[in-house]
Amino acid sequence: MASLKDIKRKIKSVKGTQKTTNAMKLVSSAKLRRAEQVAKNSKEYAAKITEMIEEISANLAKSNEELDHPYFKSVKSPKVVDLVVITSDKGLCGGFNSQTIKRVNAYIEEFESNGAKVRLRVVGKKAIAYYKFAGKELLDSIDDLSSAPSYDRAAEFINAVSQDYLDGKTDRVIIVHNGYINMITQEIRVDNLLPLDPSEFTPSAVATSELEMEPDDDTLLEALVKRYIEFVMYYNLLDSLAAEHGARMQAMDAATSNAKDMVNSLSVQYNKARQAAITTELIEIISGVESMK
Amino acid sequence: MSTMKLEIVTPHGAIYDGNVTVTTLCGKEGEFGVLPGHAAVVSLLDTGVITATTANNKEVSVAINSGYVKVSEEKVTAIVDGAVVVKDEEGVLSDNLEDAKKLLKSAQSTDATIATAISKVESIKK
Repeated sequence: MASLKDIKRKIKSVKGTQKTTNAMKLVSSAKLRRAEQVAKNSKEYAAKITEMIEEISANLAKSNEELDHPYFKSVKSPKVVDLVVITSDKGLCGGFNSQTIKRVNAYIEEFESNGAKVRLRVVGKKAIAYYKFAGKELLDSIDDLSSAPSYDRAAEFINAVSQDYLDGKTDRVIIVHNGYINMITQEIRVDNLLPLDPSEFTPSAVATSELEMEPDDDTLLEALVKRYIEFVMYYNLLDSLAAEHGARMQAMDAATSNAKDMVNSLSVQYNKARQAAITTELIEIISGVESMK
Repeated sequence: MSTMKLEIVTPHGAIYDGNVTVTTLCGKEGEFGVLPGHAAVVSLLDTGVITATTANNKEVSVAINSGYVKVSEEKVTAIVDGAVVVKDEEGVLSDNLEDAKKLLKSAQSTDATIATAISKVESIKK
């Protein structure tokens, strides 16, 4: 049986850990609230930009033009697929990153069995470390972006991807990240970024009047789609960050309550050991007195 | 006087949302004014300042770097990359003029456009 001193030391260390995990939980919940707000704010932008693309495509449809821009061209059997993986920069958030990586690995297997080449573009230190360890080649990687999403950096990252797409170096671009549902649930979200699905932009309401475009609709649509892609990337980062904080909060909550349970059972052990020591001492004293008689 | 809705949104959220009687937008092909009942137009926006007169006759100015605008008969929606309010609905000059200038300076536009926009911000200040 462990000595009293050992148990005491252990209780102290577990209590220390508990304090740390509890503090991390509080920090995460504060950060979560902020991340949630930012994501909510930018949702409005998403709605507006989608609406605008819808109306332009409706306008093109009216003049009997197909959406024949390369952004909208779909390929039946893609030869090269670019996977954009978003994970966190920091750990201690439960299965948050491993779930994403698992899904990505399933995709890699699926595409490779269909004879497509998969290229990885990775965001976040966790996935970078994982794929380095697994010996997988990374086409592009960026860190410190998922923990502090910046529109400019996200745009720069994704523009390299769309440039490759336009140059014909890749046929399909997919973004995988772990998204936020609520404080305690995350969900893997998969975005088929490129080619864009024209049916997604079918307008819900019929445009009433003829739309005038300035400069011309092709230039406008191209610029708008480029902006849309940048924004999708940025929004995915925000969503991922909110989910990360949610996952961390949950993990730290579990860790704190585990530590509490551990302190409880250690205290019982400590009390038992102390009681045993007292009993032994008493017996020694009594038997000493007995023998003196 | 008839009004229309003016919305200015950035990836970080809505910057302005309100009813206005007239607005001046900085289009890529030149500045243009919009009154309620304007024909539907979609246009690229250049670096500059969007000004508007609200329903209760107050001037609103917002500096933007670049984006798009969609004008319909009763609504003007500007989707921009970055925007800073220079003068708000109460007619109060905001204290982040430096932010506005920084935003304009960082925009990817010709020097002339940026200089025009900055001088416009400064003229509002007076």
